[in-house]
Amino acid sequence: MGYDAEALTKAVEAAVLGDAEAVRMLPERASLGDVLVNWCQMNSLWPLFFGLSCCFIEQATVFTGVYDIARFGAEVLRGSPRQADLLVVSGTVFKKVAPMVTRIYEQMSRPKWVISMGSCANTGGMYDVYSVVQGVDQLIPVDVYITGCPPRPEALMYGLITLQDMIKRKNRPLKPVLGLSGGQLGGRDDILEVGVSKDRDTRGPGMQGIPVRGTSVTPPGFAGSRSEEMWTPPPPVLEFSARQTVLRKAIEERFGELATWREDPVDMPTVTVSADHVVDVLKWLKHESPVKYERFEDLTAVDESTRKVPVEHDFTLVYTLTSLSAVERLRLRVPLSGAEPEAPTATSVWACANWYEREVWDMFGIRFVGHPELRRLIMPRTWPGHPLRKSEPHRATEMAPYLEEDVLRMQPEDAGELLRRLHATSPTKREFVLNIGPHHYSTHGVVRFVLELHGEEIVDMASDIGFHHRGAEKIAEHQSWHQYIPYTDRLDYLSGVANNLTYLLAIEKLCDITVPARAQCVRVMLSEFFRLSNHLLWLGTMVQDLGMMTPVFHTFREREQVLDIIETITGARLHPAWLRIGGLAMDLPEGWDTMVRDFVSGFPKRVRSYHRLISGNPILRARIRGIGPITLEDAIDHGLTGPNLRACGKEWDLRKVTPYSGYEQYDFDIPTREDGDCLARYEVRFEEMLQSNRIISQCLEGMPSGRHISEDYRYCIPDKKDTLEDIESLIHHFINATRGPKVPAGEAYAVTESPRGEQGFYIVSDGGNMPYRLHMRSAGYPTVQALPLMTIGHLLPDFIAIIGSTDYIAPDLDR
Amino acid sequence: MQATPEMAITGFSSWEPGALSLGVFFFLAAGLVATILVLTVVITRRKPEGQKALPYECGIIPTGTARLRYPAPFWLVAVFFLLFDVEAVYVVSWAVSFTSLSWASWAQITFFIGVLLLGLFWVWRKGGLEWGMTPKR
Repeated sequence: MGYDAEALTKAVEAAVLGDAEAVRMLPERASLGDVLVNWCQMNSLWPLFFGLSCCFIEQATVFTGVYDIARFGAEVLRGSPRQADLLVVSGTVFKKVAPMVTRIYEQMSRPKWVISMGSCANTGGMYDVYSVVQGVDQLIPVDVYITGCPPRPEALMYGLITLQDMIKRKNRPLKPVLGLSGGQLGGRDDILEVGVSKDRDTRGPGMQGIPVRGTSVTPPGFAGSRSEEMWTPPPPVLEFSARQTVLRKAIEERFGELATWREDPVDMPTVTVSADHVVDVLKWLKHESPVKYERFEDLTAVDESTRKVPVEHDFTLVYTLTSLSAVERLRLRVPLSGAEPEAPTATSVWACANWYEREVWDMFGIRFVGHPELRRLIMPRTWPGHPLRKSEPHRATEMAPYLEEDVLRMQPEDAGELLRRLHATSPTKREFVLNIGPHHYSTHGVVRFVLELHGEEIVDMASDIGFHHRGAEKIAEHQSWHQYIPYTDRLDYLSGVANNLTYLLAIEKLCDITVPARAQCVRVMLSEFFRLSNHLLWLGTMVQDLGMMTPVFHTFREREQVLDIIETITGARLHPAWLRIGGLAMDLPEGWDTMVRDFVSGFPKRVRSYHRLISGNPILRARIRGIGPITLEDAIDHGLTGPNLRACGKEWDLRKVTPYSGYEQYDFDIPTREDGDCLARYEVRFEEMLQSNRIISQCLEGMPSGRHISEDYRYCIPDKKDTLEDIESLIHHFINATRGPKVPAGEAYAVTESPRGEQGFYIVSDGGNMPYRLHMRSAGYPTVQALPLMTIGHLLPDFIAIIGSTDYIAPDLDR
Repeated sequence: MQATPEMAITGFSSWEPGALSLGVFFFLAAGLVATILVLTVVITRRKPEGQKALPYECGIIPTGTARLRYPAPFWLVAVFFLLFDVEAVYVVSWAVSFTSLSWASWAQITFFIGVLLLGLFWVWRKGGLEWGMTPKR
């Protein structure tokens, strides 16, 4: 009870200034009715499930047993805005998903409050890029901001307490409840105004006179970069094996001048082919070549227009192929020229080329002749231009502010239209079109599936992605090589350090850096911990999707243990950004081994209890056995990797077949299954947890002593104590920590077995301190593309089981 | 006193306190529901806002109408459920008075259930309970 101090001060000031309205500004005294209504409202907040990115994982954590948000007056997550009075926007608001945020806010009934969780939701966070809205308050009014990236679960609870306090102090709900004038009932009504309280400058209004930071490092200028004055050794050159030489001869015999074998690749054999012949070459490589490339691993493009050393063509298409039979990789480079370049489509050779080509069209404006549905995949349908071209703006702060007009313009495509475009002829059984997502309990991330149902049977399906597109590849082009490490953490927000590893392996390949044994062992250990963290979350959420409510509380208990260990070692929970070029940020802390030993010895017992609790449940087994099967041929042809591929019977794990980071030293098994259905995928992941535990215990027992970072300080951030002893280390520290190391010109691709499959980073350096182009190959992309194969013909509830069992995640899908 | 079905019927007298309290309870319950309904209508602030009235479909503008044509299985299963649900009336009333009934009534209800079961098997065989996926080609 009492007067609102702020409003009182305002009224007194107005009275002093002689404002006649001053009396009306006096705040109202809270009556007993106000107090009662406020008490009810603040102790029974009903939060809406609105998960956008990493923050949502921490939001989910507060609903589990360890934190138990219900104690704080916020009850169970609501699935629909009609039932909720609190919208927690957790994570990055993208221009494509913003229409959904505003619609959901409008569909909530009053009173309603909004909490903006995480620096991304507050301001766009570290993502100042074309696709990101600079804070959700640009669109809807926010009551409480929670900072952090991501905020700890405790921070969200503190935010809730703050909101409750605000309700208690500011709300005067009795009059509005009784339909009288005056009073104040829940939430703010004001929204930022362009030019007054809102500005595209992230620093806020009133800064127009001062140039935006970082404009001098905007491509293509890179004005004042001193990296050009530095010298670096040339990148290493691959030594061709006997099999690669055979392949080279075969290509020369078959195609002659049409396909030129590159002499000095860094990482894999590289062949340059002209656009006219690329499909022939691809066909030959898949079916006839002495080394058969069964898998279409990746396709991307490079805009060559701002190279330091100019090249003759404007764009290069880069195809990466994998041979599972011979354990080989091959890169095809296709030079293209012109403002609207064209290439023939490879969809006739590999069906999964469909999305890869659509993405290249979307991002670069390269047209694929003969493609069945060449239209935007990631950006909103009405987006102008092709964002990954060097001529396009990359910072959102360089673009016009995102306003309500844009919300109307960037509405997602109508579901019926989406299905109609997918097929030239309309199916006969078309009866009911249902959207699952972008904002839905069971889609793991913001992604949209359109189902066409006959009764409960799925007769057709289309996916719409890009609601989580953070423009991570464009961002790389204006971050130094070290600065980009924290962005890789967030690309697959459950794999943290494991993402760092893939990116760093690519750089280390290009720079020829040897990583010390201790650093490699720690990298392996942390990657396996993140695999456990991911699989535990997957296990809990998948069985929750299937209706088992209990396990998720238990799996989060172990996950918190894993995160505690990660936090002790690295200082952060989800996104430690703890690996560095050439090693680690620092050495392991004292006492790490006791924590790890405790965990490793106790974990198998926990897994056994999960086995009893979940795996043996006859209802669960009946719901996933024989559901969503995919054959091994289809899986390989569609580029499925990781546990999803192993569930089809292929024993293919990069940790075994092409070991990296010292994985060859560990003794572990690769679980496989034959059926390729949901049960098989479930069992493979389930057993992988025990194998990860085995690897971690071997890391614990055999942790080598020695350095945690490479001795060669050319590219690394040196150990701090060395910098205090010799001037060379100090100079390297200064340069590599500020403008960053200069990476030799060249290209490299590295791929690791991340928790959800094969994750690759393709990096191109033109000899600067920033990537010239960076592309991420994600495991979820081909999986989601192959979903129609697994789902059509099944029932609606089976669909939920299938998307749960494939374990994709939106940020790695959309990058 | 033995609790027989006859007792249950004759035990109800409009002048005994048991029935009075039931009546009071009925009026209280009805009154509470009516008060809540009236209050909801009277005090709710209705503020037409942009897309509030739009059906909620995962944040997307829905496609088509919600008045869809249900496929036949939905209707069939509903009809069969109603048909077979009626048996509960007979079986439950028979079960309540089980102790005071003779073997003859046991035989009657067994016959009744048997006939129902035959009907169920017939429906099952005719494919009336087929649900969901069309058999794989």
